[in-house]
Amino acid sequence: MSVLDIAKGMGVTLGHLFKRPVTVQYPEQRATVQPRFRGRHHLLRHPDTGLEKCIGCSLCAAACPAYAIYVEADENDPENPTSAGERYAKIYEINMLRCIFCGFCEEACPTGAIVLGHEFELADFRYQDFVYAKPDMLVGTKGSKWQRREAEKKGKDVRLGFEAGPRPELEGVDY
Amino acid sequence: MKVTINDVSMDFAPGTSVIDAVFAAGYDVPYFCSQEYMSPIGACRMCLARVGAPRKDREGNWILDEETGEPKIFYFPNMMATCTTQVMEGMVVDTLSDDVKRVQNGMVEFTLINHPLDCPVCDKGGACELQDRAYEYGTGESRFVFDKRHQEKHHPLSEVITLDRERCIHCKRCVRYFEEVPGDGVLDFIERGGHTYIGTLEDGLPSNFTGNITDICPVGALLDTTSRFRGRNWEYDHTRSTGMDDAGGSAIVIDARTGRIERIKGALNPEVNKTWIDDGTRFGHEYVDADDRLRSPLVRKDGELVPATWEEAAQVVRDRLGGLSGKDIGIALRADATLEEGVAAKALAEALGTGQLDHAPRPAASVVPQQAPATLTDLATADAIFVVGDVTEEVPIADLRIKDALKGVTPPEMMAHGVPIADLRLKEHPVFHRERLSVAAPYRVDLMKHAGRTASYPAGGEAALFAALQAIAEAQDAKAEDAEAAAVQLDDGQRAALGMSLADAEALVRGLREADNAVVVIGGFVLATRAAAAAAATFAKAVGAKQLILGPMANSYGLELLHVGPSHDRYAYPGMLEGARALILSNLDPAQDPDVRATLEQKDFLVVHDLFLTETAKIADVVLPARSVYERDGTTVNLEGRFLPLQAAPVDAGESEDFVGVVGALGDALGQRLEGRSVRSARRVLRKRFELDPAELGPSGELYRPKGRPAPRVSIRSDEAVGGNVLVTPSMLRVEYLERNPHLLALSGGSRLRVNPADAAQHGLGDGEAVSLRVGGVVRRARVRLDAGVPAGLMLLPTLPEQPVGLAHADLATLTRDERELEVAG
Repeated sequence: MSVLDIAKGMGVTLGHLFKRPVTVQYPEQRATVQPRFRGRHHLLRHPDTGLEKCIGCSLCAAACPAYAIYVEADENDPENPTSAGERYAKIYEINMLRCIFCGFCEEACPTGAIVLGHEFELADFRYQDFVYAKPDMLVGTKGSKWQRREAEKKGKDVRLGFEAGPRPELEGVDY
Repeated sequence: MKVTINDVSMDFAPGTSVIDAVFAAGYDVPYFCSQEYMSPIGACRMCLARVGAPRKDREGNWILDEETGEPKIFYFPNMMATCTTQVMEGMVVDTLSDDVKRVQNGMVEFTLINHPLDCPVCDKGGACELQDRAYEYGTGESRFVFDKRHQEKHHPLSEVITLDRERCIHCKRCVRYFEEVPGDGVLDFIERGGHTYIGTLEDGLPSNFTGNITDICPVGALLDTTSRFRGRNWEYDHTRSTGMDDAGGSAIVIDARTGRIERIKGALNPEVNKTWIDDGTRFGHEYVDADDRLRSPLVRKDGELVPATWEEAAQVVRDRLGGLSGKDIGIALRADATLEEGVAAKALAEALGTGQLDHAPRPAASVVPQQAPATLTDLATADAIFVVGDVTEEVPIADLRIKDALKGVTPPEMMAHGVPIADLRLKEHPVFHRERLSVAAPYRVDLMKHAGRTASYPAGGEAALFAALQAIAEAQDAKAEDAEAAAVQLDDGQRAALGMSLADAEALVRGLREADNAVVVIGGFVLATRAAAAAAATFAKAVGAKQLILGPMANSYGLELLHVGPSHDRYAYPGMLEGARALILSNLDPAQDPDVRATLEQKDFLVVHDLFLTETAKIADVVLPARSVYERDGTTVNLEGRFLPLQAAPVDAGESEDFVGVVGALGDALGQRLEGRSVRSARRVLRKRFELDPAELGPSGELYRPKGRPAPRVSIRSDEAVGGNVLVTPSMLRVEYLERNPHLLALSGGSRLRVNPADAAQHGLGDGEAVSLRVGGVVRRARVRLDAGVPAGLMLLPTLPEQPVGLAHADLATLTRDERELEVAG
């Protein structure tokens, strides 16, 4: 290694000293994620009826390479249906520790009920808190379980540490 | 017959169907309507292939191809349904050409015209024949864009079967099943063409074998309601085991998910149940997942049962039994314990030094035939059958095998790919040769619908019935030797005992004697007394018939072979309840009888090993959680002497153990290495004892015939007097668990007290009324059912393990309306 090489290397370092840094001072500063970023799952509803799109078919669980999804289905009460059709997901759970955010569940879903959103701040303290149930993922729920717990404790709105680009699946739906 | 399938030439027996030839050659054609044990009818048109054969001219010479000089192949003008086509000499079958592919694509497309593609919500999804065939043979898209047929989506055919009429592809399997297999004919096609749907005219499905249609439905049209939406097919753990609800030993598959049994399906055992199982076996599993299942041992401390560990419980048992002489300790198993559990119980009894060991219910007479034992295959190929008892309720699978015999089609030869898919000897709308079957029972039983001769002898008169038949047989013998001998003479008592006309009885005896393969089926009523069982055996021998004895529970035969019995009749189960100072009871609940309960409360020590906190468990000192029959590894022996394997399904049952586990824990506490401490060590004993390896049993099991003379059997009752006003009848549904089986409870309406309408009027009982009654001491709750098939002066009640089949005395003063039931209703 010659002195010239060292000078070259230092040159790169010096050059970056005068460039705008790419570092984001997260969490004080909000990060931006790309539109196709795959974060925490959302369970969607039919926009017109408000019924859940999920029919509890377990295909997401079958497609999941990490065995992170557990579904238990049941029959809809015809008077007061949860989803369109005969069947709905009585229990829908995703273990966020196991999930590798590959998006196969999205691909497998025959009704487009599950989409991966943009939330990624899923850190928590206890194992069982990483198992997200239906109320934690149904569309309209903002933030991870911890964020919502914290917001409730402080009496404030959930603050997400990122800004998302547009997400067509989640757009134009008034819940 | 030499047949060429694509490029493979093979020889087949005449009468083989082309579809079987194709499969035997290792090729595949799609099919929906064919089913191994039912008639091929070519309804679905899915198994089309190009078939041709050479022809002969008028002189009987093959017509030759002018170019090659070989016999010319004349192809059928259209594609042939291979399931209904027989092989012919020199036949050529083509399943691979583009023409065949095009036709198969077309058929899939056509079948899917009206099939709703709701696979994601369909319970059949993932195990659906239509789904698989559409994937393998379909084009992937349809040209039919119009609306699909709309029909009822969830029509409850019965409490346990849901029909989705949109999904039906009209293969007719279910309709043929009911016509051909149980012979009940309760389903049919209604309307025509595109409007055709499956329906029944009657309310529900009046048959004992309805669940099988959910197994054979190639699509998700007929579904098991107990497992409706419970899980997807790929999520289930499939455990092949043996049904333990009756002595038939049907092969079953237990489908469990996340530690719960979700459904039971029939499995293939060509020697025993083919693929059919009865509704009691199929739907009677829900009790296993009941909320009040015991999950850990309980030990009585300061008068209260408190949870404990197995070690603590075993210590308590050791300490408390230590103060007792071995002779004072009684051990009793329910007769659906496995052979391994039997070995363990014997080892424990030996270690404790007691002869008070028994299994219950154990009939007065042996369930192992002493001569000419029949197998179920013998039964299915018999040309004369005489049934005494209610075989449909005792061993339902024997009922189906009897119907095989009535159809007169012998079991098919196995082929390279297994059971032939289309057995052309089977015909739609089969003729049941009723004259081959005679049924005798004290009341009207289901099988009498199919019997050529029926007899209603007085209850408890089995010995007299067989004695009278024996007299006829002897008179016929005398007649055969000497034409001058007097005709059959019976006195009035004997005539009454027959329950049928003398001419009928004579024809019955002659039929059995002249048959090449006659079978006498001996039910529980006969086994209730030794005299009747002996008379039955003598009669069977006299007419040269084989015997099939219907044991009361799944492993009665095996436990008797293994001699899990007392050393003296005083020590048999009823005597043990009286005499022993300490008792270890596995899955038995004798305290349903208040008198026995009072006796048990006086015992020094009572250990109960059961699934639930039963009446007996409530007064026990130590309660150990038991495994259900679906959670045990082991071996059972069915009524024909076939060793069959049991495999434990992955069910979340807490810390429960089978009796092998109990003995293992007690052995540890006693500081002894007992022979039955584990399934493996118990199997070592069995290997030595029976010279076959229970760990290596094939899926069809292994038929075992005891060598030499059987060891003397200790009877259960010294008092053989029989009488009573209630006849305890065999039951396909296990009454002890019925209340925890919500679907079966809804289907059956609960435990039934069947009463003659005239008697009911006399006692002031109305149909459907909930009553309680002490029968033979046991407090029974049941719902009254008026039934003209019940003889006057007799009431029928289904059996419990603690209440064996046969006559029992009921104190009619205790007959009361069931207050609890009324409270629930109110």
